[in-house]
Amino acid sequence: MATGPGPFEQVYDTHVVGIYRFVYARVGNHPDAEDLTAQVFVRAVEQLDMSRDPRQIAAWLYRVAHNATADYWRAFYRLPVVGVDHVAPGWEPADESGRPQPEPDDRAGARVQALLRRLPDHYRRVLELRFLERKTVAETATALGISNGNARVLQYRALRRAAMLGEPTDG
Amino acid sequence: MADDDRRLNDAAERFDGYLEALLGDGRPSPESVEDRDEAEMARTAAEMAAGARTSSATGPDPAFVEQLRLRMREADAGIETVRTPPPVRDAQPQPEGIGRWRLSRRHVLQAGIGAAAGLAAGLAGVALRARTNPTGGTWDDEPLIGGEGFWTEVARMSDVPEGTALRFSTAAFEGFVVNDGGTVRALSSMCTHMGCTLHYRPDWHDLRCPCHGASFNMAGSLANGRRAWRSAGAYPGDARAYPLDLPDLARPEVKVEEDRILVWTAQA
Repeated sequence: MATGPGPFEQVYDTHVVGIYRFVYARVGNHPDAEDLTAQVFVRAVEQLDMSRDPRQIAAWLYRVAHNATADYWRAFYRLPVVGVDHVAPGWEPADESGRPQPEPDDRAGARVQALLRRLPDHYRRVLELRFLERKTVAETATALGISNGNARVLQYRALRRAAMLGEPTDG
Repeated sequence: MADDDRRLNDAAERFDGYLEALLGDGRPSPESVEDRDEAEMARTAAEMAAGARTSSATGPDPAFVEQLRLRMREADAGIETVRTPPPVRDAQPQPEGIGRWRLSRRHVLQAGIGAAAGLAAGLAGVALRARTNPTGGTWDDEPLIGGEGFWTEVARMSDVPEGTALRFSTAAFEGFVVNDGGTVRALSSMCTHMGCTLHYRPDWHDLRCPCHGASFNMAGSLANGRRAWRSAGAYPGDARAYPLDLPDLARPEVKVEEDRILVWTAQA
């Protein structure tokens, strides 16, 4: 009676890592990435039309993931949260170009570097210490020879500048 | 000017709460973010935090992938059985007070991931009665799983002095019997986060998860989460609060007859 994974599980196996990376690149932390990934597949097991073309299935999943992360950020923007169930992803033509894809990691890393390069030295340095070297505020303050409070202010200003420079992302 | 400085300092300190959670790989809260500009900053920070990591650090925890797979398998099977009604079984009068045989699809889909992980790994053998869970919330009012069952003796009272916990396992369930100041409880030994097996730490009187460091108290509730830190200030031996809010441990019914501790187990 041993049977292989069912059709849904095959879809899951094909896409779970890709969807996770897609979501992680947008929320930057694992607990939220796990929640959002689970949301995507819970919705898929309920609603995904398995008779569709594999490329359409992929497009549908990434659309739902996109909506789930957009919804996640709505809470930070103080916008009403719609709930992933209420965002209709719709079926789109099986067109590879229209599908949001997780970008290769080297590109995401390169984008961070490009953004950092456009910042003034002191802003770039504080963000390098915090984000690339993962230093604490106290370690960052020591490295820069400033107080903890000033390190927090500096990273705050640096991120404000970086947010203005950053290209608008989808969603 | 001094006012402006103070405001900037306050904003920078509040916003650092977002960064601390993000960079500590916890769950950042929207409460650290005050307005649209800060939301943009948070988003930039999140993308930067992700982009600065190597590819091995941006993928899912294999344990998470497995647990979610099991949850999906349960849900998928649940949906299949909804589509295909089970054969009618008549002439089998069911004893009174016995609930459903199977999880409804809604139960499967709404139960938290931890709960689903538990189900997948064998909780299905235990009658979980919502009324035995004082905190409510996680489980519906109806029994999650019905079915016939029996009482299994798991320990003697003399094995479990006050303030201690003892591992037990029945055919379908792994857990601890705890003696919490004279009150005896049975608690699942499965962490409600990812389903890892908890161990008892006598010095802390808690059930500790080896995977991500969650601690549950003798009532089966998360003991070292943010809420606990806020009320108690800290958790002994921990450097920081456990970042997630977790459901209580599953608590099968338990009774004590003379010296014998019995736990309710559903019939397979």
